[in-house]
Amino acid sequence: MRDFLLGLAFAIGGGVVIAVAQTYPTMAALQFGPSLFPSLIGGGMVIGGLVLALTRVRQFKSALAGPRSQANRYDYRSLLISLVPCALIVFYIVASEFLGAPLCMALSMLVLMLIRGAKLWLSLIVSIVIAVAIYLLFSRYLLIPLPEGTLLSQILP
Amino acid sequence: MVFNAQTMLVIVAASVFGLFVGAIPGLTATMAVALLVPITFYMDATPAIAAIVATSAMAIFAGDIPGTYLNIPGTPASAAYVGESYRLAQKGRARETLGTNLVCSVIGGLFGTLVLVFVSPSLAEMALNFSSFEYFWLALLGLSSSIFIAIGSRVKAFLSLTVGLLLSTVGLDMMSGAPRFTFGVPDLMAGVNFIPVMIGMFALNEIMMFYGSRAEARSVPVMTKDSVFSMAPRHVRTYWRNILRGSSLGTLIGALPGAGADIAAWIAYAMGKSRSKEKEKYGTGHIEGIVDASSANNSGISGAWVPALVFGIPGDTITAIVIGVLYMKGMNPGPTIFMNGGGQVYALFTVFFVANLIMLPLGYLAIRASKVFILTPRKMLMPLILSFCIVGAFAINNSITDIWIMLIIGLVAFVLARNDFPMAPAILGLVLGGTLENSFMSSMLKSNGDLLAFFERPISAALGALVILIWVLPSLIRLFRHWRRPSQPDHTPRSS
Repeated sequence: MRDFLLGLAFAIGGGVVIAVAQTYPTMAALQFGPSLFPSLIGGGMVIGGLVLALTRVRQFKSALAGPRSQANRYDYRSLLISLVPCALIVFYIVASEFLGAPLCMALSMLVLMLIRGAKLWLSLIVSIVIAVAIYLLFSRYLLIPLPEGTLLSQILP
Repeated sequence: MVFNAQTMLVIVAASVFGLFVGAIPGLTATMAVALLVPITFYMDATPAIAAIVATSAMAIFAGDIPGTYLNIPGTPASAAYVGESYRLAQKGRARETLGTNLVCSVIGGLFGTLVLVFVSPSLAEMALNFSSFEYFWLALLGLSSSIFIAIGSRVKAFLSLTVGLLLSTVGLDMMSGAPRFTFGVPDLMAGVNFIPVMIGMFALNEIMMFYGSRAEARSVPVMTKDSVFSMAPRHVRTYWRNILRGSSLGTLIGALPGAGADIAAWIAYAMGKSRSKEKEKYGTGHIEGIVDASSANNSGISGAWVPALVFGIPGDTITAIVIGVLYMKGMNPGPTIFMNGGGQVYALFTVFFVANLIMLPLGYLAIRASKVFILTPRKMLMPLILSFCIVGAFAINNSITDIWIMLIIGLVAFVLARNDFPMAPAILGLVLGGTLENSFMSSMLKSNGDLLAFFERPISAALGALVILIWVLPSLIRLFRHWRRPSQPDHTPRSS
């Protein structure tokens, strides 16, 4: 059933790509404009998506008709937990300018360790030490300007 | 010039630096070399070049270490066979895999160096004969191979490829300068960088899988009998043809301007699978798949120096930096380098041999030390890797946009991977998409839109025929089998 839906998503996505590509300007001197390749790729997505969806129509119909089996039931709790790392990346992007990269990394690591049942004191020590080590390594040694953060800019070396 | 304390110390230090950078997902061999450039200002020519050669060779090998233990390639050149290495590690053969990898990398590196020494001028001339027509077919050959070598549904492999190709179109169009899919974000004008995409597809996807699985058990078991080098001689004896083929292919592809170790590894893996007698074992943890590609990526490093030295044209991003260093040190690349800088050039060749040979002991120590990936509980390791992913994605352009790209691609890859879409075609689509489009557009402009021009040059026609054969052959075989089946006599005994 998921293949059917993904096939449809690809087909719709391909259609959107073709539509967006048609808005690109064409130049008189060029026989082929910037829309050619995106349109070809979009066309590929539409065809591939439809082929995938159509070959799974029977499965989709039987999934709709029959009772939901245990195997088909989606584990939403696991899905939500698997999204926590993504939420922490968004937290880093939003908060690192203010809190600074080391603090954001330490907090993210602490949360992830505690989710999987690591001991609090161990998680706290490891996340702080590793965050400071990564920050010093990248910003001082590899000269990558990680955000210091306005909060800790006076304290950090 | 090479066998003195200073140069040897520089080679060892640079190798250790390369090991470190290569083993961290997101940090590439190119980045390691770029970081070395300011330090080479203070060195003589020979140690400066030695540092770059040793760092790049070691980083390419070290990329296999996190790939084997965590299914996260350290450098893009390891992405082609990361699935095979990880599955072998899951069977308790992590050290054996890395040991074989190391030996193949050394052989590939030495092979590439021999080619560099003996046939560099003629090989560089051949590579220069490649026009946009040949590059178009070469790119299409790589993309076609990615669909046909993929495990599982070919429709899904094709759709995965379109994702990579679509990403490659983001940014300013080469011909018209029109921005495409940039959504008003200035950072996207230069296109989507390969590294954040790779981190998202492999590392973030793996981290999300781990948190969604609730399993803490080690996915890579510790085996006491798993030894680094005990099986390597046997694998080398069994697959010597694959090593030779991978090394030759790697050197040749490395010598093509704009290609490099990443593409060499992908094409060698595809070629290895298509020629293998045990195709069905690919994707389940088969050492043969690793042998071809790991020889190719290290030989590609040496191969890329061929056009760089002989014509001053970079074979890959590393040699693009190297050319600058060569000029800085008074070794002007070009045909005259062999006349004006003869001694320096032969010192450079010697450095290549030393750097590849020193990879054996240092690589061995690195493999022994990499047990930390097994012993560290994944609940402590995965958060650390997430931090490296964020910093690694940011470090490419010092831009937050690259972290967003990593995040979005990670989410897409998570959905696709959970539904059995292969990731390799998407990565290859992004790597080769630009080459495919640019070479097609250039060719069409050159030929005034005449498609037959793609078959007018001999090499181009041969590559084109090969691509068409790859697409048509499966259908022809199916038709042939269908045609043969009814004509076969029925030998089954009739029951009375």
